Amino acid sequence: MAGLAATLGNGAMSNSIPEIEDTKCLFVFGYNAADSHPIVARRIVRAREKGAKLIVVDPRMTESARIADLWLPLKNGSNMALVNAFANVLIEEGLCNKDYVANYTEGFDEYYKMVQKYTPEYAEKISGVPAKLIREAMRMYATAGDAFILYGMGVTQFGQAVDVVKGLSGLALLTGNYGRPAVGIGPVRGQNNVQGTCDMGTLPNVFPGYQKVTDPAVRAKFEKAWNVPQLPDQVGRMLTDVVHLTREGKMKAFYIMGEDPVQTDADAASVREALKAMELVIVQDIFMNKTALHADVILPATAWGEHEGVYSAADRGFARFRKAVEPKGDIKTDWEILSMMATAMGYPMKYKNTEEIWTEMIGLCPLYSGATYEKLERLGSVQWPCTTAESTGTPYLYAGNKFDTPSGKGLLFAAEWRPPMEQICKDYPLVLSTVREVGHYSCRTMTGNCAALQTLADEPGYLQIHSSDAARYGIEDEELLWIASRRGRVLTRAQVTDRANAGTVYMTYQWWIGACNELTAENLDPISKTPEYKYCAVKLEPIKDQVWAERYLEEEYSKLRHELSQPVR
Amino acid sequence: MGKGIIAMAEKVLTVCPYCGAGCQFYLVVENGSIVRAEGYAQGRTNQGELCLKGHYGWDFLNDTKRLTPRLKRPLLRRSRDAEFQEVSWYEAINFAATRLQEIKHKYGADSIMLTGSARGPGNEANYVMQKFARAVVGTNNVDHCARV
Amino acid sequence: MNTFVIADPARCIGCRTCEVACVLAHSTGGVAALSAAHFIPRLTVVRTARVSAPVQCHQCEDAPCAAVCSTNAITFTSNSVQVNQERCVGCKSCMIACPYGAMDIVTTERVERTGSGVNERAVRVKKVEAQKCDLCITDPTGPNCIRVCPTKALRVVDQKSADASMRRRKEHAAEESAAMTN
Repeated sequence: MAGLAATLGNGAMSNSIPEIEDTKCLFVFGYNAADSHPIVARRIVRAREKGAKLIVVDPRMTESARIADLWLPLKNGSNMALVNAFANVLIEEGLCNKDYVANYTEGFDEYYKMVQKYTPEYAEKISGVPAKLIREAMRMYATAGDAFILYGMGVTQFGQAVDVVKGLSGLALLTGNYGRPAVGIGPVRGQNNVQGTCDMGTLPNVFPGYQKVTDPAVRAKFEKAWNVPQLPDQVGRMLTDVVHLTREGKMKAFYIMGEDPVQTDADAASVREALKAMELVIVQDIFMNKTALHADVILPATAWGEHEGVYSAADRGFARFRKAVEPKGDIKTDWEILSMMATAMGYPMKYKNTEEIWTEMIGLCPLYSGATYEKLERLGSVQWPCTTAESTGTPYLYAGNKFDTPSGKGLLFAAEWRPPMEQICKDYPLVLSTVREVGHYSCRTMTGNCAALQTLADEPGYLQIHSSDAARYGIEDEELLWIASRRGRVLTRAQVTDRANAGTVYMTYQWWIGACNELTAENLDPISKTPEYKYCAVKLEPIKDQVWAERYLEEEYSKLRHELSQPVR
Repeated sequence: MGKGIIAMAEKVLTVCPYCGAGCQFYLVVENGSIVRAEGYAQGRTNQGELCLKGHYGWDFLNDTKRLTPRLKRPLLRRSRDAEFQEVSWYEAINFAATRLQEIKHKYGADSIMLTGSARGPGNEANYVMQKFARAVVGTNNVDHCARV
Repeated sequence: MNTFVIADPARCIGCRTCEVACVLAHSTGGVAALSAAHFIPRLTVVRTARVSAPVQCHQCEDAPCAAVCSTNAITFTSNSVQVNQERCVGCKSCMIACPYGAMDIVTTERVERTGSGVNERAVRVKKVEAQKCDLCITDPTGPNCIRVCPTKALRVVDQKSADASMRRRKEHAAEESAAMTN
């Protein structure tokens, strides 16, 4: 978000998911579409069948890497060095579009100064990717005509994330890959409505429609519409600030709607400690979860399928979702609960339905003002910006190569590579990276209660490990083992696979017993404040008595299930 | 699943609650329960196709209790060592609103953190959440779990 | 020739949606009845270091499984190889004989009623069966794995599609030889 917003003026995907299959070159960086977004993976497969070149940068042999023309297996934690080397090749080999750079970008001189020392040979030392392969990848990318970059959490979940995103957006600027179909850059969002949550301004710095809270004119508009004398004018705190602010005694209450930070946030022990220290924890959710165990009050909400509304797809596409079944029990929609809370706190709030809320919202947001319920119904899906009654939406941004930055130009930006904050050592000799599970989602409360998905994958989840590492520890495929970091120790099951690179192990983050966020470190990116989920140092401890381990797993799992069902009788 | 009764079933067009691909599909509902998902050929991003979660990710709505039970009533405990008690909506809201108001008066609005949800609730609920944070609590401390 | 289902590894993304569809196609309880202990799909997604693809019965013309079956439970029916479960004794010969690892030996359990009136009672009957891809032969919509695959990695190969493919290849070869002699 923060990276693309700085260089291009807009944090969303520049182009659409359907356009992926029509590009001439797909450049996939730290993004495993097969496990995160199978329906995007389908477009990658189709692009390749239509003749597109496919370049994949990933330490693992992902499904995309398997069918790629070029696979660049980089060392975990070396993203920035490699991206700088890409820019170096584009410039030094004359592969960039000089007219485009002159007319539509700014910051070239400083950018060039920074990337100059990142020759492919220099980057090879850091990333392990052969210099020749770095050159070949950029020749393929730059000469394709239309090229589309896709990136994912292999970029964003590092301590140095925003810099890398900016760097990637620069490669498309150097080669003039914006402002037309089937080009550009796409951060593909992890959860179904991350884009929508940003769009709606559940961010500390912007109102809905990306209107800054620090802008007096914007505040005046919202103050008038919401009928309040004064709205706060300082940028608020981020979720990742909660742990340290609570420790400092500055954060006292936490109202959590539809999230499970104990399960999904890095360093789970610190999150629990913060929740315990809070004077008030309100949890509003659909299932009992690990966070709710620390609540004072739990407000039961309706789930997807039981209420209606609008989601935003990763490519800025608004679409309506609808109620299919009646909710069971004494539960209410999230917006009804919030309205009751507001009214009880002296601010009368009453909405008839989601359409009334939506209409109020688009009336305050120029970016979405033409995207009425009626239009969403008629067209099925509308991609913002949609600013007029006539507009059918905007499949790709930056038409005419006009960017949404203050100057209207795309910003070229590079930064020095910084190694990950926690390094491997004698005691913790392996890198742990957290990844996705195709059949499960986020904290697993929804998918873990789905029969088919639970059948395919259940506790304690798998640790993907290269056969050479497994052999060194004497670990067999499917065996249970302990994995420990400086912060915790959990039980997991080995999946010996040469798709993982030697020296790094991979865990998916849904599990209660194999809870990898008991291990991860809260090393935050200085700008986005996203924790370094993709890199921490760990050690493995094989278990001799597998019969005991299987029994222990079964017991722990039933204990946890019992604990979580206890409050709901 | 008997295929002969499709005609009696109701089809509800919706958007998948899992990843951000925005797949559109029908939930087929019979006698008030979902029986299957069916791809929607005009779906902008998915063109009728669905993945594992799209096809088989809806039965949590039947409260299968395979992992955790659904929350069905407001729950409250007046001290952290106490057990949760089922309470009325009035009591739960009254408790939460009063305590929030007290904390706001004692420590200031910026001692309160709120979250939106990038999952099931939808855009309208998130709009109302940030409005609640800003206009009612009086803080910009509102965020959600996946930011970059 | 026999009809069979084959996967294109260049399209498979290893998601296992086909496995779930397969199990559901061969059970009666719907999604709710699924459990890890009884999840035995008749095709298996295999992921080696370099390849992802579901593997299932090739419906061989000269099927080794049928050749070794001592009870004649495996027969050629409707352009496919089918197992007649009434005759199967679970001897496992077919499992050993199959070069594709596509035959599973599965213990099934069903409830049968015996006696009548006050003596009526339910007994659980265990049976061992040889199971493999039956092309969803009783389902008019065809193999369910093909229907659900999000990347269309699976397809049916039958006489007609094989003929068409062979014709295309021959035409291609003819054009290539023309180009060589020009």
